[in-house]
This record gives sequence, C-alpha cells and structure tokens, in this order.
Amino acid sequence: MLKAKNDLLQGTLALLVLKTLARGPLHGYGITLHIQMVSKDFLRVEEGSLYPALHRMEQDGLVTAEWGFSENNRRARYYHLTAAGRKQLAEEEKSWERLIQAVAQVLRFA
Amino acid sequence: MSLISRLRGMLRREQLDHDLDEELRSHIEMRAADNTAAGMSPQQARYEAQKRFGNTTLLKEDTRGVDIISWLDEAARDFRLALRLLQRSPGFTIVAILTLALGIGANTAIFSVIDSVLLRPLPYHEPDQLVMVWENNSQHPNPHNTVSPPNFVDWQSRNTIFSSMAYIFDGRDNLTGNGDPQEVVVQDVSVNFFSLLGVNLLLGPGFTPENGQAGHDNVVILSYGFWNEHFAADPAIVGKSVVLNGHPQTVVGVAPLKFQWFIKDGSLTSAKPQMWSPFVFPQSWSNHKDMGRFITVVARMKPGATYSQAQTQMTAIASQLEHEYPDSQSHWGVNVVPLRDQISGALRPSLLVLFGAVAFVLLIACANVSSLLLARAASREREMAIRTAIGASRWRIARQLLMESLLLALIGGGLGVALAVWGTNALLAASPRNLLDLAAISLDLRVLTFAVASTLLAGLLFGFLPSYISAHSRISETLKEGGRGSSAANRRAFARNAFVVAQLGLALVLLTGSGLLIRSFVRLIGVDPGFDTGHLLTFKVSLPRAKYGKDPVCLAFFQQLLAKLSTVPGVRSATMESFPPLAGLGAATAVHLLSQPPLALSDLPVTNVQVVGSNYFSTMNIPLRAGRLFNAQELTEEKHVTIINQAFADKYLHGVNPLGQKAAIYMKSLSETELQPSEIIGVVGDVHQMGLDTVPEPTVYWPHPELVMSGMTILVRTANDPRLIAPAARAALQQLDPELPLAGVATMDQLLADSLSRSRFTMLLLGIFAGVALVLAAVGIYGLIAYSVTQRTQELGIRIALGAQRRDVLRLVLAQGTRLTFLGVAIGLFAALALSRLLSTLLFAVSATDPLTFAGVATLLAVVALLACFIPARRATRVDPIVALRYE
Repeated sequence: MLKAKNDLLQGTLALLVLKTLARGPLHGYGITLHIQMVSKDFLRVEEGSLYPALHRMEQDGLVTAEWGFSENNRRARYYHLTAAGRKQLAEEEKSWERLIQAVAQVLRFA
Repeated sequence: MSLISRLRGMLRREQLDHDLDEELRSHIEMRAADNTAAGMSPQQARYEAQKRFGNTTLLKEDTRGVDIISWLDEAARDFRLALRLLQRSPGFTIVAILTLALGIGANTAIFSVIDSVLLRPLPYHEPDQLVMVWENNSQHPNPHNTVSPPNFVDWQSRNTIFSSMAYIFDGRDNLTGNGDPQEVVVQDVSVNFFSLLGVNLLLGPGFTPENGQAGHDNVVILSYGFWNEHFAADPAIVGKSVVLNGHPQTVVGVAPLKFQWFIKDGSLTSAKPQMWSPFVFPQSWSNHKDMGRFITVVARMKPGATYSQAQTQMTAIASQLEHEYPDSQSHWGVNVVPLRDQISGALRPSLLVLFGAVAFVLLIACANVSSLLLARAASREREMAIRTAIGASRWRIARQLLMESLLLALIGGGLGVALAVWGTNALLAASPRNLLDLAAISLDLRVLTFAVASTLLAGLLFGFLPSYISAHSRISETLKEGGRGSSAANRRAFARNAFVVAQLGLALVLLTGSGLLIRSFVRLIGVDPGFDTGHLLTFKVSLPRAKYGKDPVCLAFFQQLLAKLSTVPGVRSATMESFPPLAGLGAATAVHLLSQPPLALSDLPVTNVQVVGSNYFSTMNIPLRAGRLFNAQELTEEKHVTIINQAFADKYLHGVNPLGQKAAIYMKSLSETELQPSEIIGVVGDVHQMGLDTVPEPTVYWPHPELVMSGMTILVRTANDPRLIAPAARAALQQLDPELPLAGVATMDQLLADSLSRSRFTMLLLGIFAGVALVLAAVGIYGLIAYSVTQRTQELGIRIALGAQRRDVLRLVLAQGTRLTFLGVAIGLFAALALSRLLSTLLFAVSATDPLTFAGVATLLAVVALLACFIPARRATRVDPIVALRYE
C-alpha cells in the first residue's frame, strides 16, 4: 500500500499520477483505479493523498483540470498533463530509474 | 506557494470549495457505483466509499494546501505571539517604535508638502493644457521675461496652437468707502481670464464679453479671502459696488476658496491678488516701439497639442515679429513653460533634496531597528532551533519574525502619522510667507496611502535580513554550541557591522548636505546689502490717479509727506524710492551712452531704474564713490541728471570717467528720451536690489521729478525701534489725505529676513534631519559595541585575569568601533561627493565639494561615533574577572 508519508513516496505518487495521465485525461477516481489495476492490486492510492497531490500538481502547472462527463455520464473533473507535466514526468522517470539501479546495486553488493 | 497564487486562491476560494466538494462527491459516487456493481448493498457501498476518504473536511484543507483560511489563521496566531513578545521586552519595543515613528513621520510630512506642491493637479480645468508664455532675450537671458502688449495681440492673432490666451498684470489700488482706506492688490486681466482657466465662480456671473469693451470694464471679482474678511462673506455682494482709486466698480463675482493665481515672476506687487478687474488695451498700446514689456501671459493649448509643438510655433511667430519690428524685437524669442513647472519650479530643488534627506533618515532608522532585531534574534536562536527541531518549517519561522517586524512597523507608522500631522503644521508655521500655500496642504488619503506603503516597506526592509538569517540557521549547530559562534551568529555579526557602517555613511551624507547649506547661509548673511538695514521703517503709498493725476500735484504731495515725516519725533530722516531693495522687484530698461556708437533699441545694454526722493543716499547710507549727489533744485524740477551705481560704471563704462557723460534712459516716451538724455553726475556704491544671493546689477537713479511715479516706498530712518514710529507715520500721511492707506508696513530687517527665508527654511529642515541621522547612527554604533561587550564578557574577564591592563581592554573594544567608524566615514565621503552636486542649485558662494565642510562633518561624525563607542568600552574595563568567569 502506498502512503505519502515522506518525500520519497510522495514523489513516487506524483510519478505514478503523471505516468497515468500521460495516457490521456482522466478523473481522480479513474487514476486510482488505473494504478490499482496496472499494478495488479499491489499499489493502492489513498484518496486522502491523491487529491492533495493532484491539486499541488495543478498549482505547479503540471496538470490542468476541466469538468467533463464520465463514461457513465457522471460529472467528473478530468486532469490533463501539460507540457511542463510531461517534462516533469520524463525527469522523474529518469531519477526513478537511477534510484532503482542504485538500490539494485546495493542489494547486489551488500 | 507564491503570495500571488495565494491571493488568487482567496478570490477564487468559494469557487474552489465548490469544485472540490463536487469533485470529491463525484469520486465517492463512482466508487459507490462500482461497489454496488461488485455486489455490496447500496448503503454499504456508499459507506465504504466514504470511509476510504476518512475525514473529508480535513482532506479538503489538505487539498487546498496552504490556502487562505489556514494562512490567515496562522497569521493571526503569529500576530498574537508577536504582540506578546514585544510586550515582554518593552525597552527594545519602545526604542524601535520611536525610531520608526521618527522616520515614517518625517517622510510623511515632507511627502504631504511634495504632494500638494509637485504632484496634485492644479485647481484649474485640464491644468495640463495650461502654459505660461514669456519673452526671452538672447542678449540678456531671462527665461521668464514679461511680455509687451502689442506682442500679445500679434501672438493671439497668429497662433493656431492655443485655444485661448489671457494676460495679467497686477497693481495696488486704494479701496475706500469700506471702513479705513486700504490698499488692495488687484490683478488687471483680459476678460477671458476666468473662462480660460475654467474656474466656476462661487457667486455671480463673472465677466461677460462686453466687459472687454472700453467703458464697460468697471467690474470686479473678489477673492474668497477678501470677500470673507472685508465683506463678512456677504451672500448678496454681487451687484454692490466698491470704490477703487475713487472709481466705483460693480462686484460681479466671488472666486472659490481654492482659486488662486499668483505667478511670482512678472508680478509687480509680489503679492497674492485680492480682486480681479478686466482690462482693455488702449489704442495707444498697439505700437511695438513705444511699449514696454510688463504683462504676464497664460494660454490654454488645444486638446492634444504638446508643449514642444507650442514652443515651436511660438518661436516661429517670434522670428516673424523680429523680422517685422527689428527695432524693438530683435533678439527677443518666446519661452513656453508648462504652468506646473512655473508654479513649482523654484521649490522643486529644495523639496526633492528634503525628500531625499528624509528617505535617508528612514533608511537609517530601518538599519537601526534591523540591527536591534538581529541582536534579539541571536538571543532567541535556541528558541528558533528548538522550534525547527520539532518541525517548524523555515518559512514558518521567517514568517513569525517578519510578523514581529510588521507589527513594529505598524505601531511605528501609526505614531509616525500622528507625528506627521504635527510635523506638517510645524512645517507650515516655519515656512516663509508665500512659499507654501497654507490651505492646500492637508493629510488626505493619498498621504495616508504613502504612509502605509512606507510603513510596510520599512517593515519588510528591516525585517527581511534578520528573518532570513534565523530561518537559514542550522539547528544542529545551534543546539550544539549553545547559540554562540554558530554560522548564523557570524552572519548576524557581519550584518550588524554592515548596518552600522551603512548608517554612518548615510548620516555623513546628510551631515555634508546640511553642512554645505549652513556654510552657504553663513556666506549669504555675510553679504553686505550695500546699505544700512537697521532702524529702517518702510511702507508704501500709492496716490490715486484721479486725484493726483497731474505730475506736479503728485511731486508736491510726496515732498510734503517726506518733510512732515522727518519732523516726527524719533525720526532721523525720511526718503523714498520706487522699488524697495531685497524684494526681488525692479524696473529695467535699455540705456544708450551717447559717447558710444548707437545701436538698435533691442541691442542696447540694460539697466535697472530707481526713482528716489530727497536724502535718499544719506538715509540709506549708500556711499558716494565719485561726483556728487542730487541737489535741492534737481529734487524739485526736471534737470535731466542721473546717478549711476558702481556696477553700471564697471560694466558699461570700462574705466572711462562716467561723470558728465550723457545717457538716454528709455523709460519715458521715445522722443523725450532721445531729445533730453540724462547727465551722469555721480557714482554710488552697489545695492543688492534683487536679494543677497544675486550680483548687483547696473542701476541708474533718477530724482523723482525726472519720472514722477504715483506709488512710492517710503523709507524712514529712526533712532529707536522703527515699528514704534508706524502710528505717527500713519497720522502724518492722513493729515495730508485721510483717504490714503499706509500699506505694507515692515522694517527693513524684516524684509531682509524674508528674502533669506527660503534658504533658512531648507537649511533648518536639512539640519534637523541631519541631527536626527547623527543621533540614530550614534545609537546604532553604541548598541553594537555595547552588545559585543556583553557577548565578550567572558573573554574580557579572562584577559583581565591574565593581566591585561584597562588600557589594553579599552583599546581592544575601541578598535572594533574605530574600524567601523572609519569605514562608514570613508564610504559616506564618497557617497556625499557623488550626491552633493544635487545641492549645487541651493548653494551660494560655496562649492558642492567644499573641502572644509567635508572635513568638518567627517570629523564631527567620527568624534560622535567614537564617543558612542567609548561608553561601552569603559564598561568593558570594569569587568570583574571573577564574575565573568563564573558566568558560564
């Protein structure tokens, strides 16, 4: 389970959200479902962390939001990735990979 | 998050709340729908969906992040905390608040004057379209030379840039039939004067176009003040008549309270008008060659026209006229001056210098408070470190400290505004007459806005550095070292040293400015006016033309008056002249010395003309340098003689003996001047006619019969206090004619003081500011050294215990102060060198880089600063080593 209690994991949440949105605009609930589904139920995003993170990203200009209608014709707020968001995603992917490599190195040699 | 987006957040908060609510609701509904689809009961589905959110209110707050509500809430908490902290250290609080109040108050007071004189729109319709139009002779440059009436007529008919033009010239008339006879200042104006300025009269219809025709001009408009004082604000005044110089005039209007028209250049009375009367040019004024230049011209530009377009067109018209009337017009150009520049022109340099000075005072005050805050922050370093350790962010700590600064600034600013109200009144009371318009200055919204803005700016300015340093200190270090020797402490010490150096530098700049003005003033009052100003009573007598129209009658009257005055007990002698000295008034004209080749009228040299009565030179104590004075016969009939001053002889005669030379002085009609030139019979010493700060100009003196004038300034030399003679003088005048007022009674010493008042005023204010700066800088360096002595108590104790002498300790402590002082003085000297040029227009006979002044103020500042260091240094020598060592 993913808990945004420290900087590392909070950054991870942002990375996951950005990556999800890179596929196309989605509402908050859709984001949680997507992450949960793609990670095969391993990662569950808490609503209590997701919305603050989304709004922070909106204020930082990484995403924009717009009211629209869901497939079930329900009013929902759709988040889009901005150009800045795309750049941020690329950077975070890169640093995530570095982290993974570093951790792998440590595991190999420790 | 930036403040801007936070503010935007505040404005959109409701929208945001609403959006968020809806977003969360939609999320819950979607989840519930899925849950139902997965087989839960609707109730259970909903409950589960909601539970995953936990506390939705809390979530909303988190989501909004540092949104405005919570921000305000925290700010309020900071505010209360700041208030408690300030209460806990009253000494610090009082010093800081008083310092700030002084700085902000002085700034606000000066700004209120600047605002009303330089910034606020003039009380006329579309004031930016109004310009003054002057003549200007390239041979004898005077950018504000009055205009000749025929030129005005030509300008008016030829220009296309002005929608209208008006003329003004003022004089003193005798008002009778309303209590005691009195002299009033009347501006004769063209009939369109009020409509051009766009003034709505308080009462009455004003001038009508037919008042602009000869024979229909017996009407007047009263100024508000005059109507109020002399007619008890009679609401039915319109239609009544007043008697001016024996002629009844119908009142057709009263001007509004705020309306004023006083342009010092070109004014013959140097006084504000009490009424306006339409004046029509007589036919005889249309000859260019015969008319002098004496009217003031104001014009309104057509909408959209610019000053430079107006100047270009008027210059073109002037060169046409120069071509058409070479005799009278060659070298005469036109100078278009925006009305605003005309009105504030003379005051602008002084006001800007004073504004700069008060800004410096505020900066010094900020440095002082900042320095105090730094000292306090050092003692609170542990508090801050602990707060950081338990989770306060840097921003949170900086904000807390900034809040304290702003609170100090606000209290100081509030007190400062009170001080400014008092200060503005004091400023007005101390300002010379006619310098500032009393009614126009008030503390209004604009001034308050300025005060609030400068308060906030000051708060941020002095609060920023201490907060920044505290917020960026490393907690681990601080907690380890017990608050001493940490990097923050080092940075603080450096900042405080820098502040003290800056303060000393700023103070030195102000002291230099003030020192230069003082020296300039001393030079000014050291100027010999050229005559004896002591025990001299002056007043004006103007004879109405209706009764004294014939020259012999006028001449005889003044002779009788002078004779009568000289028999008054206490009077040593009495005389008269056309224009009193030091008042900035005079008449000037072209002069042709017959021994020199003839020139066109406008190429001739120019001389001042003074018409004087008997005993003039002896009464005034003006020395005779060559030749002789007027004899009794020349003082009773026209004998075509004149006396010149030394400046005339030096400038126009170049060593040739002036005595016996003939001079055509173009003050009478052309034919009379050329047929009967005046013979120079004597040379007298120079008098500073236009003021002590101007060089005496070439002047010719005529005895009264040469040019009989109906208005003269009487000068009475008395044995004792001249003011005591005034009642007897009035009695003497009214024995001769009970209808005549004794006007403008003043002693010559008063006139002298008035002529110096502007210089004195600027000097006094800058002196006060420099004094405040000196005190603040001294307090600043004192505080620093005292603080460092307290910090070093232990070290000093050890040194003393190890055998250091008092002298060594003293030297050690003083060394720090001396270094800072010399650095500050050196920086200040450079800054003063760069800035004192700005003062040069205000200086008289002193260079802006006067080495004596610079050396003097640098020494003064250094001595004061070192004395301020000496007090804590002496305390350091008394450190008891036992106590100091036990301290830790």
